[in-house]
Amino acid sequence: MSIAETLQRLINVALFAAGLRMATSIIYATLGGIFCSECGVLNVGLEGLMLVGAFFGVVGSFYLGSAWAGLLVAVLSCLLLSLAFAAVHLEWGANQMIVGLALNILGYGLTTYLLKQMFNTAGYFSSEKIIAFQPLRIPLLDNLPLVGSLLGGHFALVYLAFASVALTWFLLYKTPWGFRFRSVGESPGAAEAVGINLRQVKYTGVLIGGIWCAVGGAFLSLAQLNLFSENMSAGRGFLALAAVNFGNRKPLRCLIAALVFGLADALSVRLQRFGFPSQLVLMLPYVSTVLILTLSSMQRRRLAPAV
Amino acid sequence: MESTSTRTPQARWLEALRGPLLQVVNYVLILLLALAIGGVIIWLSGKDPLAAYRALFVGALGKPLAVANTLDRATVMILAGLAAVVAFSTSVNNLGIEGQLYMGAFAAAWVGFGVRGLPQFLHIALALAAAALAGALWSWLPIWLKLRWGVEEIVTTLMFNYIAMLFTAYLVAFPFASKNTVLPGTDEILASATFPRLVRGSALNAGFLVALALVVVVQWFLFRTKQGYELRMVGLNRRFATYSGMPVRRSALLGMLLSGALAGVGGGAIILGFFLRFVTGFSSGYGWDGIIISLLAKNSPLAVVPASIFYAALANGSLEMQAVTQVPSTLVGAIKGVIMFLVTARVFLDYFSKRWRT
Repeated sequence: MSIAETLQRLINVALFAAGLRMATSIIYATLGGIFCSECGVLNVGLEGLMLVGAFFGVVGSFYLGSAWAGLLVAVLSCLLLSLAFAAVHLEWGANQMIVGLALNILGYGLTTYLLKQMFNTAGYFSSEKIIAFQPLRIPLLDNLPLVGSLLGGHFALVYLAFASVALTWFLLYKTPWGFRFRSVGESPGAAEAVGINLRQVKYTGVLIGGIWCAVGGAFLSLAQLNLFSENMSAGRGFLALAAVNFGNRKPLRCLIAALVFGLADALSVRLQRFGFPSQLVLMLPYVSTVLILTLSSMQRRRLAPAV
Repeated sequence: MESTSTRTPQARWLEALRGPLLQVVNYVLILLLALAIGGVIIWLSGKDPLAAYRALFVGALGKPLAVANTLDRATVMILAGLAAVVAFSTSVNNLGIEGQLYMGAFAAAWVGFGVRGLPQFLHIALALAAAALAGALWSWLPIWLKLRWGVEEIVTTLMFNYIAMLFTAYLVAFPFASKNTVLPGTDEILASATFPRLVRGSALNAGFLVALALVVVVQWFLFRTKQGYELRMVGLNRRFATYSGMPVRRSALLGMLLSGALAGVGGGAIILGFFLRFVTGFSSGYGWDGIIISLLAKNSPLAVVPASIFYAALANGSLEMQAVTQVPSTLVGAIKGVIMFLVTARVFLDYFSKRWRT
């Protein structure tokens, strides 16, 4: 097999389509991160929230027999956890980074415990009774050459992810509500001076963040895969944190970072099939995150020299 | 101020004891509340919480051997806790302790089976030095990126955890794959690199003593040396430290490297004392435990010891609890999260300090 041939089989439309699919959960978690940090809350717990969302998505789907019901259960569970996060941070003055870490530890402990307790299994749980999301069939789009295989046949949640980014941008940048919301993160003193209730805004932001993480998590367990496995979020919440950091909270820039991470994810899966050691190629998303963050920080430094 | 002088000696004693006493009461209440929450979870699953907790206690501290095993488990937690204490006292957000543990563990194992003909003391010292170096190196890149380009170390250290786990997994799957092991791992370390056992029938080994010695060293360094003082001042108030002419950037670098080195030694200690070879997945989140332990210990190196023993007791007791009462040992993971929530929230502390002042 020549090099050109190998490259052609490695990098093609199917790879980018897989990249879109794998970016989706990261995009949702990134939106969660944006809502948290726009109101001045650093939420390191995105990872734990995603994991809990993934688990309760499976629970909901298993017992209620519908993927959308699963999604709803996931959202409710993450709302509850986010409420705990917000309360502990805002009412009792807990350090937000530490509470975020607590959320991750709690998320991991709770899901592994409940996995054993509810389904009497360790490691992973799959069942025919977990109803997964089905890919959409869009007659016209699917038949288009190239574009059809890139954009066609995805889950509804994939398309909705892009719509959600647009919605987030619109909400935060084009509405008075968004302006007030962002002012809390940008300049809390000024926001308070004009009578904005900081605490209330932060509660809202953290809870909305929880909803997005739940969707990202449920996408993992009900669309990308059709099962729950221990620690299945595998750092995607942290990747989302990196995407928010890279994009400086701007939805579009964050989206680009999330897409790159998704593509790196897809590429690592693909490279394994070519016989590269899986341990090395699985590093791709994490290594690319460090690289991308470094590049963007270098650029930022150059634009605004250190004082 | 004036009231203290008119008080009786007993009252003054009470006054001095109030702070530590509050702390103890606070922790006891937090523990009780966390256990109560766990108890409700156990009860909801149709099992007897009291029986489960009895088994947990017996498994952790019920017999002399159980105590020894708990102390053995605490070894790596103490070192991870120290790593977190050093980082967070300096305000360096080292969330990469887990990865540094992995690199340290691998380096120690490599020296342990690769270097021959050394006397035991030297061999162990060399393996631990390699572990410290590996941990420090693994923490160096994130802090360098931070100081040079302002890349957030919170995110990079997190990423380096995954990279370290995958990298060491690669090493033992290919270049260092051992033929005589089922689990992916390196060859067994030589007898000369093995920590001597302290108690017959238990895995408790001299690594625990090394950890205790390092507690004293770190306490001395942070609170009795100029550099340690600078590190803590940078952590307390970066602006003040800058204006006082302290080397803020060098302190951040030093804090991170020391933290990484301590984490590396922690990984090395668990290999040289317990696993006797590097195995993938040897750490069940000890790096994260270290962060909670530093939090429980309020960044005091000495307090890391009881906090670690408490955490080790939870971990060891949970196995007995599962064996005796079929309550999954993973429940402890959930309880850990609850404890962390409650500790950060200072729920009781604020309440009592308000009440008791009046």
